[in-house]
Amino acid sequence: MSAVKLRLENVGKSFTLADKTTTVAVQDFTLDIRAGEFLVIVGPSGCGKTTILNLLAGLEIASTGRMTIDDRIIAGPGAERGVMFQDYALFPWRNVRGNVEFGLRFGPAGAGLSVADREERVRATIELVGLTGAENKYPHQLSGGMRQRVALARLIANEPGVLLMDEPLAALDAQTRLILQDELLRIWGQDRDAPSRRTVVFITHAIDEAVFLADRVAVMTTNPGRLKQLIEIDLPRPRGDATRAAPRFHALTQQIWALIRAEAFRATIT
Amino acid sequence: MNRLARGLILPVLLLLAWEFGVGLMVEPGQAPLPSRVAAAGLGLLRSGDLPWGIAQSLGRVFSGFLVASMIAIPIGLVMGASRAVERNLDPLVESFRPIAAIAILPLAILWFGTGTPAALFIVAYAAFFPLIINTIAGVKRVDRRLVDAARTMGVGRVTILRTVIVPGALPQIGVGLRLALGVAWTAIIAAELAVGAKSGGGGSGGIGQMMFVFYAYSIELNSIVVCMLAVGLVALLLDRGLRAALSHAMPWGRA
Repeated sequence: MSAVKLRLENVGKSFTLADKTTTVAVQDFTLDIRAGEFLVIVGPSGCGKTTILNLLAGLEIASTGRMTIDDRIIAGPGAERGVMFQDYALFPWRNVRGNVEFGLRFGPAGAGLSVADREERVRATIELVGLTGAENKYPHQLSGGMRQRVALARLIANEPGVLLMDEPLAALDAQTRLILQDELLRIWGQDRDAPSRRTVVFITHAIDEAVFLADRVAVMTTNPGRLKQLIEIDLPRPRGDATRAAPRFHALTQQIWALIRAEAFRATIT
Repeated sequence: MNRLARGLILPVLLLLAWEFGVGLMVEPGQAPLPSRVAAAGLGLLRSGDLPWGIAQSLGRVFSGFLVASMIAIPIGLVMGASRAVERNLDPLVESFRPIAAIAILPLAILWFGTGTPAALFIVAYAAFFPLIINTIAGVKRVDRRLVDAARTMGVGRVTILRTVIVPGALPQIGVGLRLALGVAWTAIIAAELAVGAKSGGGGSGGIGQMMFVFYAYSIELNSIVVCMLAVGLVALLLDRGLRAALSHAMPWGRA
């Protein structure tokens, strides 16, 4: 049993809207995320997945409960928790290279790196996400899928210990998505032993993606957002194409789908 | 070419109608004529009076504009970034804003005399308001998610101001620069006209004062029209130049 990296204890978050009414986005959310764990959160839209991520990132402050990282209270953002935003949040005035190198140049992630080392890491990261040749393009010149890859590169170039990712592969075509799922597992450290892995909290609406990547899948329910069930994904690692073909993979996918089907339908209809 | 030719038909007809119609109806000297305006313009160009007047006025506009930018943009950045600072300074800015630049001319002349410093003061005053208001608006319009992204990379506040807020606000600051340059040019002509009146046509120079001299002493209507056209043309060129410089400075933008 490895150490707890992130701990959420009875966390709740409510927002006051413009008309003074209050909505509860997340209620009584308790979860321990282990060091080196790949945790995936799935749930119908509006279930507070993104709120959980913003709370962990320190961009929002919980209304109730407490959250810790390595037993320290999370009071704000920190470079050890990197975030990939759903809307990418790329800097429009910086080209691909400028976006990817941002954290290394202006944040603590690049401290101690020589300029040559930094440039090499930026180059290698851009190559990893398949954007070589587009280094000098600006975000508005890129397709949605390419922007998403820039955001992914910007996150992993900083090599944060915790990666918080909000639907990071949603805008990609099916093939690229599979390739980057494999890459993501490699970056996370699936070939290394568990203690040297990064900790990932990953939001997706694709259940097969959740099962393929996760150590555990947290299924959320909506109105208010709560944790419905935690499912251990006992597929062996390293995972690859064989995993996607395994009967157990499909069984787990079906099991999770059954958990959220009713609410997903409701969310579609209303 | 065809389109250009068609576009020229009406202006040329109007100029011809003006030339011959006015020449028939009004005594010469009472109204400007296109042919005489052209002749006067050539004369003023050849003598160097017009280029020199424009250069003097432009010099004042650029220095006043620079002074205004150096004051208004930093203050605007801080006001846009901090609610507390904005709450304290906004009433002050807004109470001076309705006072037209030309209305502070008496004070400017009292304090600075009729020379370049007074003109510079007027220009800086006029340019200050569009700059500060657009800078504040620009900072407020910076996408919060971009600031969040920088914060999650552990970037410090001051660095965020430099690397996220300033470039994010730049398109709107560019709008402010364009408006400011426009009003600065307008203000300098008005200021030179008025300063010219005060100093009896002497001294300070500039295209505005040239116009005053043509009006008050020699009554050369055609030369006044030359100056008017020059003022308009310079304003157009200034804006085009600034726009080109801005889009060069913001290669990412659709400015």
